[in-house]
Amino acid sequence: MDASMNEDWQDNARMIVESARAVVPADGALSRVRKARFNGLGFDPKVMQQAAELGWPLMWIGEEAGGLGLGLRETCALMEVLGRGLVPEPVLSTMMAGALLQEALPETVMTGEAVILTAWQDATGALTWQGGAEAGHLTGPKVNLRGAAGADLFAIVTGAGLAIVPRSAEGLTIETAETLDGGTMDRLHMTGVAADFLPCTQVDTVLQDATLAHSAYLLGLADRALEITLDYLRVRKQFDRPIGSFQALQHRATEMKIQLELTRAAIAATARRFDTGADVATRAAGAARCKLRAADLAMLVSREAVQMHGAMGITDEADIGLFVRKAMTEANLFGSPRQQRRLLATRLDQEEAA
Amino acid sequence: MTTLPDYNAMSDAEFRQTVRAFVETNYPDIPRYSLSRLHWDEVKPWYMVLSENGWICPTWPRDHGGMGLNAGKHLILIEEFERYGAARVNDIGPVMLGPLLLKHGTEAQKAHFLPRILSGEDVWAQGYSEPGAGSDLAAVRCEAVLDGGEWVINGQKTWCTLGMDANWIFILARTDKTVKKQAGISFLLVPMDARGVTIRNIENLELEAEFCEVFFDDVRVPADHIVGRINDGWSVAKALLGHERVFIGAPRLSAAALSRLKRIAQHSGIWDDPVFRDRYVALQCDVLDLSDLFETYVDRLRDGREIGADVAMLKIFQSELYQRISELMMQVAEEDAGLRHAPEDVRQLHAAATYLSARPTTIFGGSTEIMRNVLAKAVLDLPA
Repeated sequence: MDASMNEDWQDNARMIVESARAVVPADGALSRVRKARFNGLGFDPKVMQQAAELGWPLMWIGEEAGGLGLGLRETCALMEVLGRGLVPEPVLSTMMAGALLQEALPETVMTGEAVILTAWQDATGALTWQGGAEAGHLTGPKVNLRGAAGADLFAIVTGAGLAIVPRSAEGLTIETAETLDGGTMDRLHMTGVAADFLPCTQVDTVLQDATLAHSAYLLGLADRALEITLDYLRVRKQFDRPIGSFQALQHRATEMKIQLELTRAAIAATARRFDTGADVATRAAGAARCKLRAADLAMLVSREAVQMHGAMGITDEADIGLFVRKAMTEANLFGSPRQQRRLLATRLDQEEAA
Repeated sequence: MTTLPDYNAMSDAEFRQTVRAFVETNYPDIPRYSLSRLHWDEVKPWYMVLSENGWICPTWPRDHGGMGLNAGKHLILIEEFERYGAARVNDIGPVMLGPLLLKHGTEAQKAHFLPRILSGEDVWAQGYSEPGAGSDLAAVRCEAVLDGGEWVINGQKTWCTLGMDANWIFILARTDKTVKKQAGISFLLVPMDARGVTIRNIENLELEAEFCEVFFDDVRVPADHIVGRINDGWSVAKALLGHERVFIGAPRLSAAALSRLKRIAQHSGIWDDPVFRDRYVALQCDVLDLSDLFETYVDRLRDGREIGADVAMLKIFQSELYQRISELMMQVAEEDAGLRHAPEDVRQLHAAATYLSARPTTIFGGSTEIMRNVLAKAVLDLPA
């Protein structure tokens, strides 16, 4: 990303985080998010429109191609805020489309008239994207999109190149499953879909960027879940004392805090490395390491949060449950912790060879 | 002694080269990469080399005989010494007492004691803990009473690291039993050869005498052997917690243990075992994430920002990680883990030595449990 060299990244990040206030209420209220659950889409198309007006789909498009040209530090700052607010809109997927397509991103997406989502993954439990093209057409599955019914266009990543197809394209069907957080997880079935393939050499880079950005979302989620839990520990009284005064809970709370700060430091340092020209090996390992830590963190904090909320924690009425179900839905996207460890374990021999 | 250059004005790379060349040129013929502490009779040649070159007190101001290093440069010095495997000297004088005297000592105390630390004439021990005052340090009972212009000291100190090598010890003594326990403590300086001082070595889990107990039986020292005001010893001692706290959380111990773990696994032929690798990469990520977190504190020091109570996070995670790595080392060593001495060809890779040397790290310098109590209140703002 060009602006990565930009020393003004902190100012940019501040402005972007500020702009996110349009979507994430400053007081942390989750009524909008709660309302958007199980509505068939799991998100609010009007918010996608707002996201386009704020320029988020252009985040990873170079300035020379009419984009914002921002780096991973700015992106992670934004994603962290979106995670804090449990924002359900598939913002990251549109950013990926922008990054892959650059100046070829359709005008209608830039203006917010159309929503484009990225379809890259070939199969659940695998991080491969090379499938989906056959004899100049799109054929085969692409899995694990979120909110595909809300898309007008798909950017389909294949080994033969990148194709833009409308949702209504002939030969394309969508199989939808509801997710725990109230959204959907969708599978595209493609049978001989006509397509023009654009060359694209950036897929791995964009996937690494997205993996890191998604880690920042999980960090934000965990950060806010911990805040809510600490608030509860301070006010909830039993045995005439706030339960936060009990050492058993205090020590568990400090473990969450330590894991949180490790995640924050790892993401910040990795984003900086991405923005200042890390080599391919460093990028792959960095994204995997951040995703591993962030997914484990989100699961740890949300589950501990339930326990510390006591019986309140197992009601749908308490907001903390929204964090649990979101963490369970999002933690394994872009590769579960097991997948990341496998990837890193495979790399040990390359380290050796290097 | 010649005037030292202004090391802080050097670039980091230039200073690193300077340190590297220094240690390679000057390190005496004594052990490197020792997991246990060396005693004064073994490590003295290295202390003296550092002393003669003006390098023994890296953080002291230059006009007091130190190198005047800022935190960033000090870190580089530590890293390069560690890289070479240089032995840790008896450093309680340079690291603890010196800075404390600079802050709270009288001019006479500074003039008398600082040069003797610099020259290696005085080797100091720390007398804080007692059998009944460990984590609850303010509960010290070792008592000092003024009598005829002298302090008369009675009681016991324990866990004095390398105390048997020292000719002086500083202690926290009870000087008022009628007030809140923190408000009745004084900071006293006692020569080890004073009449009534008895030392008993304690063998540790590694069967080495690394620490000792010190008994005081009507020991008399002059009334001016006190640092700070009477009954103000608690705040004097607490002020000592400077940027050293950051270095306790440095990833170097864990990183070194991880590389030994890898070599043990390669040596025993399980390096390709996917069950091992799953555990190994998780620990490797822990070390790398700790390094990234550690760097945020180094940046703060470099920018001259304050280090708060949150630095305890580093110490907790570092020490527990070091232990977790050593636990996997023990498993990988299989039946050989129980051998008292490692086979000759893998002497450096003795899993048991790492396992045992990792035990004190969660106990000394504030136990993990006390650190978590502090974090819960000072950082997470949880109620008492």
